[in-house]
Amino acid sequence: MREAAVVSVPNPLQRIPGVAIVLVLLIALFSVIAPGFLSVANLSNVLVQSTILTMLALPMTLIIMTEGLDLSMGAVLTLTSLCVAIVSLATKSMLLGLGAGLLVGTAFGVANGWLVAILGIPPFVATLGTLGMAQGLSLIVSDGQSVVGIPHSVRDIYSATLLGIPVPIVMAFVTYAAFHGLLYHTRFGTYIFALGGNREALRYAGLSPNKLLIAVYALGGAMAGIAGLLMTARMNSGHPTAGLGLEFDAIAAVAVGGTSFERGNGWLLGTLLGVLSVGVLRNGLNLISLPSSVQVASVGVLVIVALFLDGLRSRA
Amino acid sequence: MSDALPIEVTSPTPLLELRGISKEFPGVKALDDVSFAVYPGEVHMLLGENGAGKSSLMKVLCGAYRADAGEFYYNGEKVAISSTADAQKLGIAVIFQEFSLVPYLDIAQNIFLGREPKGRIPGTIDRRRILADARRVLDTIGFDIDPSTTVDKLGVAQQQMVEIAKAISQNARILVMDEPTAALSDRETELLFALIARLKADGVSIVYISHRMAEVFALGDRITVLRDGRRIDGVKPADVSPDQLVRMMVGRNVDMTYPRHFAEKPGELLLEVKGLTASTGISDINIEVRRGEIVGLCGLVGSGRSEVARAIFGADPVTSGEIIFDGKAISGEPDLAARRGIALIPESRKSEGLALLRSVSDNLVVSALKKLFPSGLFDQRSAQRTADGLIRQLRIATPSARQTVGLLSGGNQQKVVIGKWLAAGSKLFIFDEPTRGIDIGAKSEIFALIDRLVAEGAAALMISSEQIEICHVCDRAYVMREGRIAGHLTRNELTEENIVRLGMHHA
Repeated sequence: MREAAVVSVPNPLQRIPGVAIVLVLLIALFSVIAPGFLSVANLSNVLVQSTILTMLALPMTLIIMTEGLDLSMGAVLTLTSLCVAIVSLATKSMLLGLGAGLLVGTAFGVANGWLVAILGIPPFVATLGTLGMAQGLSLIVSDGQSVVGIPHSVRDIYSATLLGIPVPIVMAFVTYAAFHGLLYHTRFGTYIFALGGNREALRYAGLSPNKLLIAVYALGGAMAGIAGLLMTARMNSGHPTAGLGLEFDAIAAVAVGGTSFERGNGWLLGTLLGVLSVGVLRNGLNLISLPSSVQVASVGVLVIVALFLDGLRSRA
Repeated sequence: MSDALPIEVTSPTPLLELRGISKEFPGVKALDDVSFAVYPGEVHMLLGENGAGKSSLMKVLCGAYRADAGEFYYNGEKVAISSTADAQKLGIAVIFQEFSLVPYLDIAQNIFLGREPKGRIPGTIDRRRILADARRVLDTIGFDIDPSTTVDKLGVAQQQMVEIAKAISQNARILVMDEPTAALSDRETELLFALIARLKADGVSIVYISHRMAEVFALGDRITVLRDGRRIDGVKPADVSPDQLVRMMVGRNVDMTYPRHFAEKPGELLLEVKGLTASTGISDINIEVRRGEIVGLCGLVGSGRSEVARAIFGADPVTSGEIIFDGKAISGEPDLAARRGIALIPESRKSEGLALLRSVSDNLVVSALKKLFPSGLFDQRSAQRTADGLIRQLRIATPSARQTVGLLSGGNQQKVVIGKWLAAGSKLFIFDEPTRGIDIGAKSEIFALIDRLVAEGAAALMISSEQIEICHVCDRAYVMREGRIAGHLTRNELTEENIVRLGMHHA
C-alpha cells in the first residue's frame, strides 16, 4: 500500500537552528563593539578556551538525552585536575597524571550512574550529592592550596601545536568526532536515544537500561578526567576551585544547542555550536572589560534567548 | 458453554493453548481459570467490558505477567511463559496501544532495536544492511516508506505499521493487537485490515482485542468473551448475533440497589452544552442537566467522557460550541468555573482532588477561601467551624477536623472532595468515576449524599464505567462513543445492555 501522508519537507530556513543564528549574531555583535575580536589570535584563543567546555558538554548532551543531568561535572573536573597535578608532580609523568584523573573521574561517573540507575535517586539530587563530595575531596587533597611546580610535560599540552594547530583544539576535535561516531553509528549510541525516548522498548529488546545508564554517566566522569588534564595544563597548577560552575556552562551549551530535556532528542553539533556561543560571549565581554559576574548572567540570558528562538520557530 | 470448540479449523492442534490460567492481584481476581486457544492463521477476537480481564490475559500471554496457575501448550507441547523473552522465543508479539518505539531513532533502528547488524568496527552498526533489512520487512507488510525516516515524524497509523514490522521481523507467529483501530481513520483501518488478511494468509495468528462490533464480525474467525476475569464462552461469528454477544459481556446478576429519590419532574435548566468541540477529541457534544437531576455520562474508557467534563470545567480549551450555565454563556479557566458554581470531582481524587498530607479541615475549606475570608486573612477558628459543619453534614468519619486526609478511607476521602465544593457553594457537581476504589458500603453512602445534594436543588453529571451504577442512580444518561454522544437513554431505557449497545460500534 502507498502511504500518502508521509514526511513533510521542512522549509530550509526553518531548519536553521536557533543556536546557529545566536552564534552568528554574537560574532557580528562583538566584531563591531569589541576591538580585536576578529583577529586570528583572538579567534584561536576563543577556540582553545572552549576546548575544556567541549569535553564536558558533549557527554553532558548524552546524559541529558537520557532525561538525566550531571551537576557534579564541574566539581569532578576540579578534583581530577588536582589528581593530575598531584600525581604528575610526584611521578614526573604526564601519563600517570592523566591516568589518575581518568580513574577518579570515571569512579565518580560510575557512582553517579549507580545512584541514578540502581538506587533510583533523581539525577538532580544524586549528582548534587556527588558535587558536594567532589568539592570536599578537592579541598582535602589540596589542603585548600594550589598545587604548583607540575612538570613541563603537562603544561606543554596546552601550548603545544600539531601541524600548526594547538593541541587542545586537536583533542577537542578528536573528541567531537569520537562522540559523533559513538552516538550516530554504534549500538550504544542507538540505545542512548532509547534511554530517553522509550526505556520500555529497551527492556522489550532484552537490554538492560540500568547498565547503559551507568555507562553514560561513567563516560561523563571519564571525560571530566581528560578535561582535568587540560585544566591543569592551562593553569599550570592544580587549583581547588578550577572547575567551579563549569557544569552550568556545559548544561547551558547543551540547552542552547537545541537538545531537549525530554524524549531523548539530542543534537551533538548543536552542542558544539552552543559551546562556541558561550565561548564567544565570554571572550567578547572580556574584551569590552565587563566583570565576570556579568558574564555568568549573560550566559543565562543566552540560554533563554536561544530557547525562545527555537520555540518561536517550532510554533511558526 | 461449548468447551469442545475445535470445529472445522484448518489445523486440529492449536498453535498456542492456555489452560486454566488464573492471576490474582491484591483484592482482585483478574483472571479466573481462563482457557484460550489460538489456531494457526486465524483472527481470534477477544471481547469484554472494561475490567473483564482482556488486558491481563494479554499480559500473561506475552510474559509481562506471570500466571499464578495454569499451563501453556505450544503446538501441543507444554511450555513455560514466565518472561517476555520466553514469549518472544515462541513467536508471540504484542502491539500495545502505547507504542514501544523510540521517537528520535529512524524506522530501521526501531525495527531492529537490540538486534542491529554488526558493522566492521566492533560496536558499530552496518548501516547499509540495517536499511536493506528494514526495507525487506516493510515490503513484506506492504508499507512503502523510507526506513531512514525518524519515527517522531510518523503519524499514529504509520507508527503502528512500524510496530507490526518490528514484530514480523522477530518471526512473530502470534500477533496480539490491543484495539489497533482506536486511533486510526477509516482509510487507515482498511489498510490495516488488508494487512491482517495478508498476515493470516501467511499463517500468522492474530489475537485481536476490540470494542467495535463491526470489526468483530468483519475480521473474527472465532470470538472469546471474557467477563469479570472468567471466560464466558467461545463462539464463531456465524453462530451468534451482536445482541447475544452484548448479553454475554454484560449478563451478570447483581442485586445492588442504591437509595435514590427520583425527581418527579425535573427542575430548571442549569447546564446546557451546545455543539461543544474541543481539541482533546470530543466533538459536537449536546448535553442538558436540570436541577434535581443526576445525569449519567457513560461509554467506554477513552470515549471522551472525562474530556467532556474537563471542557465544561474549563480545564481544556474549547474550539467551538457553547456552554450555558445558569442562563449565562460561560468560558474560561477552571477557577472561573469554580467561582460560578461548577464543581469537578475528578477520577484520581488522590492526585487531583485532595492535598493528601494536609488536614481534613484544610481540604474542606480550600475552594471556599475567597468566600470564607474575603479580607484575605486566614482565620483558623472560622475555618474549623466550617469544616466541623461539613463533617457533620456529610457524616465524614474522621477523629477530628485536624486529621490528615491521606489517612481516611476512600469513601471518606471522596466525601471530603464533595464537601470542599459544597463549602464553595457549587450548584453543579460533575463526578468522574465517583466510586472508584470505594467499597460497596461506602458507595451507597456516596450515592445517598449525591441524592441529597440534588434533592436540595443542585444538579449532578456523573461519569461512570460501572453501568450498573448508572442504571440504578441516574435519572437519564448520555452514552458516548469515540468523542461523540452516541445516544440518550431515558429512565425507562436505562439498562446495561442499552448502554453497551450504544457504546460499541454496532454491526
